[in-house]
Amino acid sequence: MIQFKKIWGEATSFLARYQKIWWIDLALILGLIGLVFGVMTVAGEWTGAHRPSVDIDLSPWALPKYAFFSLCRGLLAYGLSLAFTLAYGYWAAKDRMAEKVLIPMLDILQSIPVLGFMPGLVLALVTVFPHSNMGLELAAVLMIFTGQVWNMTFSFYQSLKSVPQYLQEAAAVYGFTPLQKALKLEIPFSALGLIWNSMMSMAGGWFFLTVSEAFQLGNQDFRLPGLGSYMSVAAEKGDDAARAWGVLAMVVMIVALDQLLWRPLVVWGQKFRVEEGGGEEAPGSWFLDFLRRSEIVRLFQGLFKPKTVPAAPAEAPKPPSPAHQGLVKVFSLLCFIALVAAMAFGGFKMVELFLKVTPGQWWLIIEEALATLGRVLVTIGLAALWTVPLGLKIGLSPRLARLVQPFVQVAASFPAPMLFSYVLILMKWAGVSLNWGSVALMLLGAQWYLLFNVVAGAMAIPSDLLEASRMYGFTGWARFTRVLLPGIFPYLITGMVTAAGGTWNASIVAEYVTDKGQTLTAFGLGSQISQAAEGADFPLLAASVVVMSILVVTFNRLVWKPLYRLAEEKYSLSK
Amino acid sequence: MATETTTLPTDQKLIEARNLSQEFSMPNGKTLKVLEGVNLCVQKREVVALLGPSGCGKSTLLRILAGLIPPSKGEVLSHDQPLAGLNAGVSIVFQSFALFPWMTVAENIQTALKSRGFPAGEIEERAQKAIQMVGLAGFEETYPRELSGGMKQRVGIARALSVDPEILFMDEPFSHVDALTAESLRAEVIDIWAAHDKNPSSVLLVSHDIPEVVYMADRIVVLGTHPGHILKIIENKLPRPRDYRSPEFLKMVDQLHDVITGHEIPDAPEPVLAPNELAPAEALPDASPSIMVGVLEYLDAREGREDLFKIAAETDKEFGEVIKLVKALELLDFVDTPKRQVVLTPDGQRFVKATSQQRQVIWREQLLKLRIFKQVYDILAKHPRSKLDAEIVQEVIIFNLPSENYEKTFETFRQWARFGNLFAYDEDTGKIGFPRKRASRANRAKAKDEPQDPTKPEAAEPPPGGSAPPAA
Repeated sequence: MIQFKKIWGEATSFLARYQKIWWIDLALILGLIGLVFGVMTVAGEWTGAHRPSVDIDLSPWALPKYAFFSLCRGLLAYGLSLAFTLAYGYWAAKDRMAEKVLIPMLDILQSIPVLGFMPGLVLALVTVFPHSNMGLELAAVLMIFTGQVWNMTFSFYQSLKSVPQYLQEAAAVYGFTPLQKALKLEIPFSALGLIWNSMMSMAGGWFFLTVSEAFQLGNQDFRLPGLGSYMSVAAEKGDDAARAWGVLAMVVMIVALDQLLWRPLVVWGQKFRVEEGGGEEAPGSWFLDFLRRSEIVRLFQGLFKPKTVPAAPAEAPKPPSPAHQGLVKVFSLLCFIALVAAMAFGGFKMVELFLKVTPGQWWLIIEEALATLGRVLVTIGLAALWTVPLGLKIGLSPRLARLVQPFVQVAASFPAPMLFSYVLILMKWAGVSLNWGSVALMLLGAQWYLLFNVVAGAMAIPSDLLEASRMYGFTGWARFTRVLLPGIFPYLITGMVTAAGGTWNASIVAEYVTDKGQTLTAFGLGSQISQAAEGADFPLLAASVVVMSILVVTFNRLVWKPLYRLAEEKYSLSK
Repeated sequence: MATETTTLPTDQKLIEARNLSQEFSMPNGKTLKVLEGVNLCVQKREVVALLGPSGCGKSTLLRILAGLIPPSKGEVLSHDQPLAGLNAGVSIVFQSFALFPWMTVAENIQTALKSRGFPAGEIEERAQKAIQMVGLAGFEETYPRELSGGMKQRVGIARALSVDPEILFMDEPFSHVDALTAESLRAEVIDIWAAHDKNPSSVLLVSHDIPEVVYMADRIVVLGTHPGHILKIIENKLPRPRDYRSPEFLKMVDQLHDVITGHEIPDAPEPVLAPNELAPAEALPDASPSIMVGVLEYLDAREGREDLFKIAAETDKEFGEVIKLVKALELLDFVDTPKRQVVLTPDGQRFVKATSQQRQVIWREQLLKLRIFKQVYDILAKHPRSKLDAEIVQEVIIFNLPSENYEKTFETFRQWARFGNLFAYDEDTGKIGFPRKRASRANRAKAKDEPQDPTKPEAAEPPPGGSAPPAA
């Protein structure tokens, strides 16, 4: 009897476990089937007959398809960004000579607005694939890529440079090959930073979704089926319902990506933490738990786990032979030469283009640059004005912070250009021209970076500092200037740097807006770039883009870098 | 200078260093000598210890022997063959453990085995054996961050032993492990080493802990500083197992104390100087003034004298650290060091008895007897209102102490000067000047809250110090 009870108990508990898993696995299988179907649709779209400008169906039922197309582009661009990051970051970190060129170049590339890449990419790729949509699709993917990649590469490079000495020595002592060192030490060490930056990058890539999917080059209209095109057509036609549906679809897409991709990655990435002890609460992810409970996933893990391979002959680790090392050196030298040659060629072509720009045009560009610089600064100032007090309020109350943070995160990832038409309605009602109104449009994107950082900074102020300030009776203004503002300063600067970079880029779409068939322009460099791209005036486009890059890089060097250093040295609370 | 005998039969020598020197280049283009003329040999079946205060280059020497860094001069022989690249017969136990945080205990060990090229079939078994050897059974799937320091170092030792090294290198292996755990780990390592038929045949230990070295080593290589060189090699024939409390053990410890102090703080006669003449500049040991004052108070409480190593033991400090503090105090004439004793001088007595304001004055007076401080003072005194760029002070340092790390010395210079309120350093501008008078600083602070009183001009800043400055 006892025996029977035991067997019965085991059987039911097995079944119960099995049942629970069954649901999870069913959901997973359905998801996989959906994915395969989706990928096939995308493939059909890409290889289909060449259609530079597709008609967009504004019914909400078409949205899932469009959102899926855009998502695929975003993910593909992200895959490219990751590959680029690994290759470029590695090269820069390992080759001392190339590093001196690659890192400043990254700084410059980062400051080139997305539209600066657009004509070259589109013309080249459309010529390569004249009969299918492949060229255009790739161009869109590459434009999204340029919005994602740079800060990922910076983060990876910096991680590679800061792998602790003792771990490197351990890897050397145990004879790690370069590949093993990369897989077991360097990439794991950089993983967490890379994951966080990937989240940021993905959001940055969405910002130009409308531009990447629908643009004008010369007298030709290009439009790919996607959420970005849907939004731009809705704006053009002034279809309010479609616009609202589009915004909703975008929000759903961002939240879904966050829950299904980034959260699980962040939780999984915790195992790559280097610092000891787990003071802060560990993040959790329902989707990762879900996957971990699945039998199918376990089955696949078993399949891919390396089986014990038959014994290989044991040999002491060989130090890399001089010939092999020589080969590596020659290869990296060749790469370096190719890089320098490409830069020289690019520089030469650029000068050729510049010769076609008249002095009057140069003068105009500089005036416009100053106007845009002013807008950028006003935008950052306005953003700081409201985000600092509010961010402090939120960050100092843990309950409020928990409540608000997810919303701020979504808002920060939401591509602001999709909301422009709502602001334009307000502007029209108030009778403001785009010269001032573009600041509001730029603010729409920039402010969230600041709010996000201020909240994080306020949360990081040690409670003993706050208690001390209470004990000594700091209140009101004194508390703000002596404790809170210095406390969040490093975060505030980080937020401002990020926001400023984004705002420069945003000026391109904010100073030149098409809404309800009407085109509004403001006097500024962003507007100039948009117009030059649309008119296919390449000399003017190159000149404006270069001026903007120079301005951004100089501003970074002269203003943000010193401020950043000040923040690190004087106001860092982590020491 | 003692050197290692090289007349041993060659099949007994596992690794040998011949005339090693190591230099690093500093940012100003000068080179910093870390090691000079080191001859050393590790034979089969012995435990060799490298003992010395921090900065004597002992960890660098270990890394050169392991093939992690190539020496600037000289050569390393492994089994009488010149060493090119890594020494395959060596594995290292690191001071900071160097475990990969994203791998479990078992994965940490297996990865090392795999990259050392062990056959895949053996890896699991070897890892398991190593884990059991150091008493980690049951912890295979644990991540390092969940383990205490002692347990982490057990993983480090297991990983090092798993690859079956001929020589086990240990770089201050127990300095991040609590004292009790360290004691038991030492005994376990010696037990593992003592198994005759198995690797590791020999152990090379780097340490600054004298009892640890006497407990573990057959030969103790004492290294001196500036630059690192071999001071003396002492054979340790004490029978194993050794007892930390036995008279022979304590005698050996004592002998090492004498060797070290004889070199680090020699009883040389003071140079005779004409009145007002300054002694040639001496290196500033990077000791923090407040801890130096702590040593003076400590001595005062012990009737003005104490054994140097007793100070180290009682304050739980590395002896190298205490030597540094004592050298610094000796430089300022606050203590004397006959043999291993540290004795308060009359100036030291005066300082300890003084109030905190008087202490600052005394400190300042002593500083101005040092060449570097005096020179900077003289330059500043010519223009009492002007400020000197940090680079100019660094030039003075480089001129007087060409072979020192000038950035480190400048840091010490700033700290000492600050403590005596001799000079002030403005971090924002990177300039050095005379400090503002206390009164004027108070005024300025007040001025922020209330309108400034125009009748009270900012106090002029006569340079402080014992003597009046020469007229500008």
